[in-house]
Amino acid sequence: MMLTSEAQDAPRPALPEQAATIAMSCRVRLARNLAGERFPDWATERDRERVLNAVREALSAEAPELRVTPVAGVEEQDRDMLCESHLISKELLERAAGGGVAVAKDGSVCVMVNEEDHLRIQGFAQGLDVAGAWRRADALDTGLERHLAYAWSPRLGYLTACPSNVGTGLRAGVMLHLLGSSLLGEIEPVVRGLERMRLLVRGIGGEGSEAAGQIYQVSNMDTLGTDEAGIIRRVTRICSEVVRQEHNARVRLLQETPLVLVDCLARSLSVLQNARLLATAEALEFLSALRLGAAMGLCTRLKVSDVDALILMMQPGHLQKGLGTSLTSDERDEMRAEFLSRKVARVKLKC
Amino acid sequence: MKCELCHKADAETAIRREVGGELQELYVCQGCARQEAAAAAPPDVDAEQPVAGGMGTVPLMGMILDAAFEIVGRAMNRAEPACPACGILRHEYRKQSRLGCPACYEAFARELDAAIFDLHRARQHVGKVPQRAQALCQRRQLEARLAQAVKEQRYEEAIALRDELLRLPEPDAAKGGPA
Ligand SMILES: [Zn+2]
Ligand SMILES: [Zn+2]
Repeated sequence: MMLTSEAQDAPRPALPEQAATIAMSCRVRLARNLAGERFPDWATERDRERVLNAVREALSAEAPELRVTPVAGVEEQDRDMLCESHLISKELLERAAGGGVAVAKDGSVCVMVNEEDHLRIQGFAQGLDVAGAWRRADALDTGLERHLAYAWSPRLGYLTACPSNVGTGLRAGVMLHLLGSSLLGEIEPVVRGLERMRLLVRGIGGEGSEAAGQIYQVSNMDTLGTDEAGIIRRVTRICSEVVRQEHNARVRLLQETPLVLVDCLARSLSVLQNARLLATAEALEFLSALRLGAAMGLCTRLKVSDVDALILMMQPGHLQKGLGTSLTSDERDEMRAEFLSRKVARVKLKC
Repeated sequence: MKCELCHKADAETAIRREVGGELQELYVCQGCARQEAAAAAPPDVDAEQPVAGGMGTVPLMGMILDAAFEIVGRAMNRAEPACPACGILRHEYRKQSRLGCPACYEAFARELDAAIFDLHRARQHVGKVPQRAQALCQRRQLEARLAQAVKEQRYEEAIALRDELLRLPEPDAAKGGPA
């Protein structure tokens, strides 16, 4: 068959480029609380409003481009969009009074107010640039600290609502696309290995540990006892090892079981091109396969970044915002199928 | 949270038992609750817990105990540790695994320290120190050195340390509970 020779002829992407596509994005989150204030869960509405105001003032002095919006005042579709972009959490959305959010225009930093903690300062970056994401969050934190008295103790560091975040309050997470390892049946040992190294592994969009589209978020379990730079280095190092393994898995797939790979791509593409109803989780499975194809150079007219955009745009909030209307779940599935089939209509497999 | 007896299954119910004359409340899994109930059969039913008396089926007992806590609440549990700053009780924060305020870390230190070690395999923060707390840390260190110098009758050094302490800026409240 043609596949092997064609695939060998195809320019093999250098590892850094591969890394950028396997590691989709990363984020670093710092949990901070104000001294002398009840944590949001136990606070009264008035307590939370007071904290929100203090944070608003600190932000306007330190980073005026970060304007705090009360969550209650954000329209539903926009709230869904923020959630789908992983800028804010469902928990914050459910916080009626005193919950707030501030997002930088370029989306590189975001502050949640009165979520589980008074402040969740988040920095974002592409690929495996965990250090870059950390620098963003850290710089904002250092600025805010000039205006806010944080709850901190010499022994336990930053004091957080849940003891699982105490210490640095730092959680560094990397989003990894591990479909190659999954197709080879090797995802279990990878996940187990990560857990043994005390990293948290969570599927996105799936129930519990089930990862829809084989997209996993890997983050540090411990926040106490290692300094920030050490945590960042560790997460980066281990995740780059996972990236290397996934890269190897993809190479082996192509060499050893090309039919399995091509079959997966072909089925996914034809469903996306022809289905009339597609639920979000289902669509994510097929887009994930297409993303793998694009990353391996097996699809024409399709870049990995195109697929990433589709993954975001087909989510309920983005979909409705794009259409400028509010839809029922069934209507959404129909519009999603229609939208995706249009977007991938001209895509072909090279094999 | 995990069962406080086997540390394996998820805790689903609250039980009370006497340990060294002190009444303790534990969050445990159904399996451990059943074992505890079997061990503490009807004869020594807790006098303070008439609702639980003679209950054979343990899940029900757990539910009733939980309900009793909700209803009778603080009045009945005056002995239960509470955070002096925010007022939440031990069983309240444990139900949600979320503390009431920063001062809870002091108030529940004894049991929290073990939980924190379980979670992180560490006991001591390493890393960033807020600017405001740096002065506090410095003050603490000087105070410790001063005490040591006085104890060892090194008075010249003690005077120098005291002067240094007096030159420090006023301490900032970097921690504590609600006013
Ligand atoms: Zn148990
Ligand atoms: Zn408290």
